[in-house]
Amino acid sequence: MKFEKTQRTPLVELSSTSCLITGECYPENISEWSEPVLKALADCVEGSSSFNVDIELYYFNSSSAKFLFDFFEFLEDQAEAGVNVTINWRYRAEDDTMQEAGEDFEEDVESCVFNLVEIPTPS
Amino acid sequence: MTDLDTVGLHEFMQRRRTLFCYSGPLTEELLTTISNPVRHQLTENETPDNVANRVFGVFIEQAQNIIRYSSQRTSSSGDSIGTIAISNIDNTFLIEAVNQISSAQKSALEATLLELSLKDQKDLRKLYRQRLKDGPPQDSKGAGLGFIEMARRVKRFEFDFNDSDTQPMFVYRGWVE
Repeated sequence: MKFEKTQRTPLVELSSTSCLITGECYPENISEWSEPVLKALADCVEGSSSFNVDIELYYFNSSSAKFLFDFFEFLEDQAEAGVNVTINWRYRAEDDTMQEAGEDFEEDVESCVFNLVEIPTPS
Repeated sequence: MTDLDTVGLHEFMQRRRTLFCYSGPLTEELLTTISNPVRHQLTENETPDNVANRVFGVFIEQAQNIIRYSSQRTSSSGDSIGTIAISNIDNTFLIEAVNQISSAQKSALEATLLELSLKDQKDLRKLYRQRLKDGPPQDSKGAGLGFIEMARRVKRFEFDFNDSDTQPMFVYRGWVE
């Protein structure tokens, strides 16, 4: 399952074992974009014993923060129900905004493994 | 000759070091279009990525505030009217936004911004997380996080309500370094 990247939304790739989100997120209408993504995520995770999430965002607006919150809350519920969920929050070195955002989400997550992964800034 | 003073406009914008300015009806579709030149301008002059991202973040929140809350609308399609500008003065970016609001909106907005202006970065971060958990306040059309987000990205901000007209003009200025 794939949601193509647009100028204002990230690429989302989903399988029964993994989820990759990469790009920028500030859609015109957040729920219009996020509802099908969250639904597809729920379909993919169903029946999985482990699930790996790689998330690499360069910018998201305040409306999209709510989507990320719901996204992590859903994963947290899955982890509590027995799925081994690993989340890799990837941020570019020196991107203090995305680093802080990752740190804050990490604090809200208990049952998932949450890794903050610094990646090189492209030159 | 007319008295439109086009050269004066040019000189005014140059003097202010304004690298982007839009004034008129603003929609999400238009914001998609103007995001490109704004991003381009910000990456042009060797601005560090994190600074460019902060400026862009404040710009997007301000533009979306105009779209959602401006009380001045076009008569044809009801699109929100406002002005938004980015200037770069001595390596400091100034992001400005102006839009009309209703008198009813003013007091709540003033209270919110006054409260935010007294908080330090640590408290703003805490407040942002709390708001994210609690959900938006009733009168919000977004996540209710926009002004907190902006306050976190700027070095400082100021706001003003120009009451000379029948309806207040809301002015927001944010500085990013």
